[in-house]
Amino acid sequence: MSLIRTENIYKNFNEIQVLADVSISVEQGEVICIIGPSGAGKSTFLRSLIQLEKITSGKLYIDEELFLHRENNITQYRIESVKYKSLLLEMGMVFQSFNLFPHKTALENIMMAPINVKNMPKPQAEALGAELLAKVGLAEKADAYPARLSGGQQQRVAIARALAMEPKIMLFDEPTSALDPELVGEVLNVMRGLAESGMTMLVVTHEMGFAREAADRVLFMSDGAITEEGSPELIFSNPNNQRTRQFLNTVLGI
Amino acid sequence: MKSANFARFKLAAIIIIIIVDILAAISYFKPSKSELLGHIPPDLISEAGNKYSEVYNNYFVFNIARGRDVKTARSATFIGFVGQVIPADEGVASAFSDVFLWLPALLDGAKITILLTITAVLAGLVLSIFLALGKIAKTKIISGFCSAYIFFFRGSPLLMQLFFIYYGLPQINPSLTINNKFMAAFFAFTLNTGAYCAEIIRAAIQSIDKGQFEASRVLGLTYAQTMRLVIIPQSIRRLIPPVANEFIMILKDASLVSIIALADLTHVTRSISSSANNVMVYIPAMIIYLIITAVFSAIFVRLEKRFSLYQ
Repeated sequence: MSLIRTENIYKNFNEIQVLADVSISVEQGEVICIIGPSGAGKSTFLRSLIQLEKITSGKLYIDEELFLHRENNITQYRIESVKYKSLLLEMGMVFQSFNLFPHKTALENIMMAPINVKNMPKPQAEALGAELLAKVGLAEKADAYPARLSGGQQQRVAIARALAMEPKIMLFDEPTSALDPELVGEVLNVMRGLAESGMTMLVVTHEMGFAREAADRVLFMSDGAITEEGSPELIFSNPNNQRTRQFLNTVLGI
Repeated sequence: MKSANFARFKLAAIIIIIIVDILAAISYFKPSKSELLGHIPPDLISEAGNKYSEVYNNYFVFNIARGRDVKTARSATFIGFVGQVIPADEGVASAFSDVFLWLPALLDGAKITILLTITAVLAGLVLSIFLALGKIAKTKIISGFCSAYIFFFRGSPLLMQLFFIYYGLPQINPSLTINNKFMAAFFAFTLNTGAYCAEIIRAAIQSIDKGQFEASRVLGLTYAQTMRLVIIPQSIRRLIPPVANEFIMILKDASLVSIIALADLTHVTRSISSSANNVMVYIPAMIIYLIITAVFSAIFVRLEKRFSLYQ
């Protein structure tokens, strides 16, 4: 059963076409990496899944239920609002720029959504927060404000914050692109752990090493479309598509 | 720590400048011996023993300490300076002699000024949160109304708004009459400062990174929760300097209420000045304004520091 399925998603910013006929299906427990040159629409695709962007047309299914259907910027169908909210919360998102709340400590950042969205009692949220901080290796930073944390630590708190809402699928939007090179590893390790624990993940990344080793499937996007997809072995060692080959040659320096 | 010390230093500097000003004013106006003796009625000179210091002490310094009783009994026209004879009632010499006499009335006026400023700015801030959120709202009617309101109250003179509320509304409908001058001034100033603060708050909200809205949304927070828990707490620190500025502006603009005869500091000063026929009362009045603004500036510096803890 697929957790997320998209059918023919198009997205235009004014005259510019950003997404062109993107159809994918994400199965339970799958780790999918989306790679491709910048401007290919990878982030836009992720953002339109979680409704930070409005698609121009296409259908989006969550848990095999039609969630949204739009044609030419007009909503044809949208699931009723209680369901809308709960299905949307099946997705958690991690941003390139972390977007932690700077006026809250690491622990408070994690507790905010469970308390205010799920009405979780405060002690329970606190326990959950402490547990998640330990999971990302930051148990001792519970009371630190984001400004006191390194980029890698901030991103790990951001991952814990997203996990606190117990999503079924995690979306990562270039989670390591804003980090200093020596901080990339700690974030990728947390993500690897998450993948091993069976979390369904959709990762937009430029970390080819991570994609190769952690992904079940790699999607290559260029010019708003998925031009190639397959197992990491296939994509990285024997890509069919000319664009894929070109891109990999550039980034891997082959 | 550094900024608190700096604030304290600033306050001390202001107080020293004020004291030096007073001393300079007094010594500048101190008449020379010949001037003084040349214009003093003979009977008074004999009474004082013909000694400059004694005359001066008796009739000038003494007046400062004791106030009007001595002056009215003795004044007439004997104080001169810079080659001119000036009746004591109009002259500079009597100026500071009456400071202690004026002070209670001036402080009463200052109380009204401070009370009006604080209440109007607080009420205006509450009003402005709704105006600011209204202006950035997606509903056109709401944002249109709030924009128009802000445009009107920022674009027309506060004095006219005050006149209109106090004199104009009763003519439109007698039930709109506001008999209490303080209440009329309070309404006018609240409506006006609400418009200004709304723009301050709107700018502060829009200066918050878009990522904060997106993170909140992705976590499932509603718009109201996002504003209350994420955006407004972060805006507060950015709000304090411009709101402090607005506060000081309103404090000074509060002098406009003297025109509807509300007994604020300016009004009291004007009435003392005209009844005593003495313009010197403006100097202590302005000093009181300076002290009030200095104190509130220091308070705002503290507030800003308190809200920047997490930075």
